[in-house]
Amino acid sequence: MNGLSDKPLLPQGAELAAPPTLLKVYGSLTLALAMNLLPWPDDALWLAPDFTLMLLLYWHIHAPRYAGLGTAFFFGLITDVARGVLLGLDTLAYCTAAFFVLSLRLRLVNFDAPRQALQIAPILLTKEALVLGLGLALGRAADADWRWLASGVVAALLWAPLAMLVDRLTGRPSYPIQNRL
Amino acid sequence: MFVRETGLSVRFGVYLLLGLALLLIDARYTALSGLRAALGAGLHPLRAALSSPADWMRQVSGFLVTHGELKQSNLRLTLEHNRLIALQQDRSALAAENAHLRALLGLRAPAGAKPIPAEILQSSADPFSRKVILDRGGNQGIQAGWPVMDAQGLIGQVTHVSPLSAEVTLLTAKEQSAPVMNQRNGLRVVVSGLGSDSLMEVRFLDMHADLKPGDMLHTSGLDGLYPAGIPVARVLRTETPRNTPFARAWCAPLAGMGQYRHVLVLKPGFVKP
Repeated sequence: MNGLSDKPLLPQGAELAAPPTLLKVYGSLTLALAMNLLPWPDDALWLAPDFTLMLLLYWHIHAPRYAGLGTAFFFGLITDVARGVLLGLDTLAYCTAAFFVLSLRLRLVNFDAPRQALQIAPILLTKEALVLGLGLALGRAADADWRWLASGVVAALLWAPLAMLVDRLTGRPSYPIQNRL
Repeated sequence: MFVRETGLSVRFGVYLLLGLALLLIDARYTALSGLRAALGAGLHPLRAALSSPADWMRQVSGFLVTHGELKQSNLRLTLEHNRLIALQQDRSALAAENAHLRALLGLRAPAGAKPIPAEILQSSADPFSRKVILDRGGNQGIQAGWPVMDAQGLIGQVTHVSPLSAEVTLLTAKEQSAPVMNQRNGLRVVVSGLGSDSLMEVRFLDMHADLKPGDMLHTSGLDGLYPAGIPVARVLRTETPRNTPFARAWCAPLAGMGQYRHVLVLKPGFVKP
């Protein structure tokens, strides 16, 4: 018996009752941006994960209609201004991460959050490396602080709890649809 | 009947080109400062809202001081006030005498500066250098390039300005440096940041240069950017050269980098071309 015939054509249950809406997507993205802008202590700044990117990737997986490459571009631009780096640095990194996640989306939706974390981790790390590498190649900076790669690791560790929390807040069922069948 | 949308990779390619164009334009030209200022102005309410809980906490803890503490600090402040008035009288007499002597010698007056007080909203998350965001911006007349100091010494300079906020790159950031003068003997050197809050260095120092631990370094005003006479750093120790022809000196910045919330933005006394 193949799983395809068992899968309902329309979303069922909680997912049908609480679909992602424009307000949920952009409201949560703004909140994530605010988390990034919190006055973090100076010594812990390099450990603070990029919540905006995590939320973006979450919505790329679960609501690609509302959060596409354009959304990633826009929030990347805002992050650039907020961090005071070269315009386009985070923008490019966000777009690249979004591209990978959107291409892998059909695979990623079939995993629960902890298993997703394993596949998202390289993307989160790549983003930090891309920001540092591009900044070095193009910027006027003489040297980059490579400790900032650690924020990618922290983000990967926080992926599962964050995804579950957002699932809970937006009413999306936490488990993948197929596991239910 | 079927709506065909552009493929993901094509769209990614377009955004990639757009991003690269942004990067190159911003790295080479200043054409994008308007866009940056507009987006920065949009971010300002969010920033202000996020720093307000910390302000409330400070206000509450400031309210809960005892009568004894208040009395004690009042006494201390009165004494300090009297001392400062005495010093101020001394200083104005000296300044008048100095101006007179300068006029006699036919010297040009040093680039004076008018301070604009500002408050630090937050540190900015930039992996390449150390920056802070101030709550004053273009609306208060602040311009990029102006020096910033606190009560103890030089902090850095304004690098980006949006209408309601300004971004200051700290002097302790890696690529920053300032021309300074040793107060003891007038030796002119350049002090550079190392990316640490408590350490700076003087590179390429002459092997026989007269720089000793404890020497105070003040800005020399030679670059036309920082007005002369702002305290910058105190020499901690000097290092004799081993494999290079140059010595180097380690210094401690005098300004409270990452400590205080209130700073002064200095308006240069001259107009930049």
